[in-house]
Amino acid sequence: MAVTEQPRGPRLGSWLYDKLFHNYVWRSVFRSGYPDTPRNQMLAIATNVFLHLHPTRLHKTHVKITHTYCLGGITFFFFLALTVTGVMLMFYYVPGVDRAYSDIAALETNVRFGMLMRNLHRWMAHGMVITVFLHMMRVFYTGAYKPPREFNWVVGVILLVLTLLLSFTGYLLPWDQLAIWAVTVGTNMIGSAPLLGGETRYFLIGGFEVGDAALIRFYTLHVIGLPLLAAIFMAVHFWRVRRDGGLARPL
Amino acid sequence: MAVDAQAVARGDVAARPRREREQELLVWPDLVFIEFIAAVVFTVTFFVLSVALNAPLLNRANLNITPNPSKAPWYFMNLQELLLHMHPALAGVIVPTIALLLLAALPYLDRKAEGQGVYFGTPNAVKITLFSAAFAAVFTAGLILYDQGRHVNVVTNIAQHVDKDWEWPTVLAPFQNVRAIQTGWEWEIPVPEGVQVGSGEHDGELNWPQDFEHVPMPFNGTSGPDWMQWDKPDFLPGWMQALYWYDLNLNLPAFVVELLIPVALMVGLPAALLYLLRRLGWLYGVHDAAIALFTGFISVYVVLTIIGAGFRGAGQDLVLPWDVPRID
Ligand code: HEM
Repeated sequence: MAVTEQPRGPRLGSWLYDKLFHNYVWRSVFRSGYPDTPRNQMLAIATNVFLHLHPTRLHKTHVKITHTYCLGGITFFFFLALTVTGVMLMFYYVPGVDRAYSDIAALETNVRFGMLMRNLHRWMAHGMVITVFLHMMRVFYTGAYKPPREFNWVVGVILLVLTLLLSFTGYLLPWDQLAIWAVTVGTNMIGSAPLLGGETRYFLIGGFEVGDAALIRFYTLHVIGLPLLAAIFMAVHFWRVRRDGGLARPL
Repeated sequence: MAVDAQAVARGDVAARPRREREQELLVWPDLVFIEFIAAVVFTVTFFVLSVALNAPLLNRANLNITPNPSKAPWYFMNLQELLLHMHPALAGVIVPTIALLLLAALPYLDRKAEGQGVYFGTPNAVKITLFSAAFAAVFTAGLILYDQGRHVNVVTNIAQHVDKDWEWPTVLAPFQNVRAIQTGWEWEIPVPEGVQVGSGEHDGELNWPQDFEHVPMPFNGTSGPDWMQWDKPDFLPGWMQALYWYDLNLNLPAFVVELLIPVALMVGLPAALLYLLRRLGWLYGVHDAAIALFTGFISVYVVLTIIGAGFRGAGQDLVLPWDVPRID
């Protein structure tokens, strides 16, 4: 619906809305009326902190699915869903070499929906790595890194690295053979750096071998350090999408 | 006021384009609706997936039992694959660091604002993308097969149909794989009496590889005439000692195999790609070059990941996917 169109006449929706929600308490939460007029629709976006990540209007080519394939949005959605499922997993998981493995194994048997939560968390983590790559490719092939969006591309590259690190740190937590050897292989690569490689590796895993110290480090980074950083950079990323004039358009 | 805040930064930073209101839609409902649908679709998809498919949990971690093969997470298996073909510092640290830095620097190298906002914004972009993807995939796969000596197997198999006793000829010894330059190849340069090259016994010739394995680095403090020899500089702080190449000798054959050839290929092939596209008359300007190189990068990343994940079995041997052992 283009912005210039006239507001529609009264509808069942707005009548119901008025009847149900036109009261003092509801109005204190949602400032605007039912979003069926351009004014209210814009207010619905502008007065809501979450929806306010959006502009109130956008160019019509940008709602075409094939322009973005929703990939940035889906990546963000994965991040949110991973936070939710991750918090649930944290209720049952203790990061110590004595407990970690049995805690994860217990999710399968002792915790209602524990397996489901773990599966969701795992598959969505893989999904996020894939979509962040695809998002980068769509941004690249639409030339959207070009001025004035140079810096937002850089923020994106940082988010890509953070996504990989989030996934990598999470990989160790189940403390099974897959986990410990993947992290051993991965950190050995860092250890081969020409300068200070061994030192960096020691610092990362808190010893010469992947053990208790590595587990607690990876856990802390995985559940608070990296998500916090990622959230900050995502906030900057979204802010910049808007500040740079919405999505890129042909000049 | 938002515009005022930006005015400071105007100048050579591009201004945002004027808006045409009649081309615009309202975010509520048009975008919010799409986002909502996308979120629902993804939630349902992943619930179904997670009910159907359990996340793996192998045996409890044990550093005394090394699974064979041990693999990094899939998105790092490309680096693990690189590791098989070059110096670990190059594969594990230097290449990924440079790749990320170049990726981040992309918008500062390709600064023309034209060609944004639509897919494949230059006239030849699609052709360049397809060509670069194929070029990079073919060369990556080809180089891996070469380094694995697969051409030797194939040629030997065929040749032995004709002549049962056929073997890979010695003149072609260095071309069995890259490492063969170091380990499977022997030649010598005669050195006249009285000329001393390096230290050690004078046997009248310089032999590849053994006589090239300890080429002293300049000023390494342990080679050359007396005045160029000194003690280890213990008085320096530790990090300076780590930087100074005291007593370092270059293993030239290993250097060629692990660093020189890989770097030459990683610089040379992208350059060759650009040159080729230029000669084909497809490539105009930096945007086209960026498309070629980015596509090549993605293509290499994907091919390396697929080979590392699906085709590396026990001992990191190149095998078919169904021969990759399952580890527990
Ligand atoms: C956690 C990772 C990321 C999240 C959650 C994210 C999210 C988003 C979202 C929601 C958008 C709006 C348009 C769209 O959906 O395509 C966007 C745009 C953009 N993203 Fe990302 N992104 C991430 C990573 C990246 C990466 C890795 C890059 C590039 C290296 C990047 C560069 C950009 C740029 C330049 C835009 C503006 C696109 C345009 O103007 O058309 N982002 N991002």
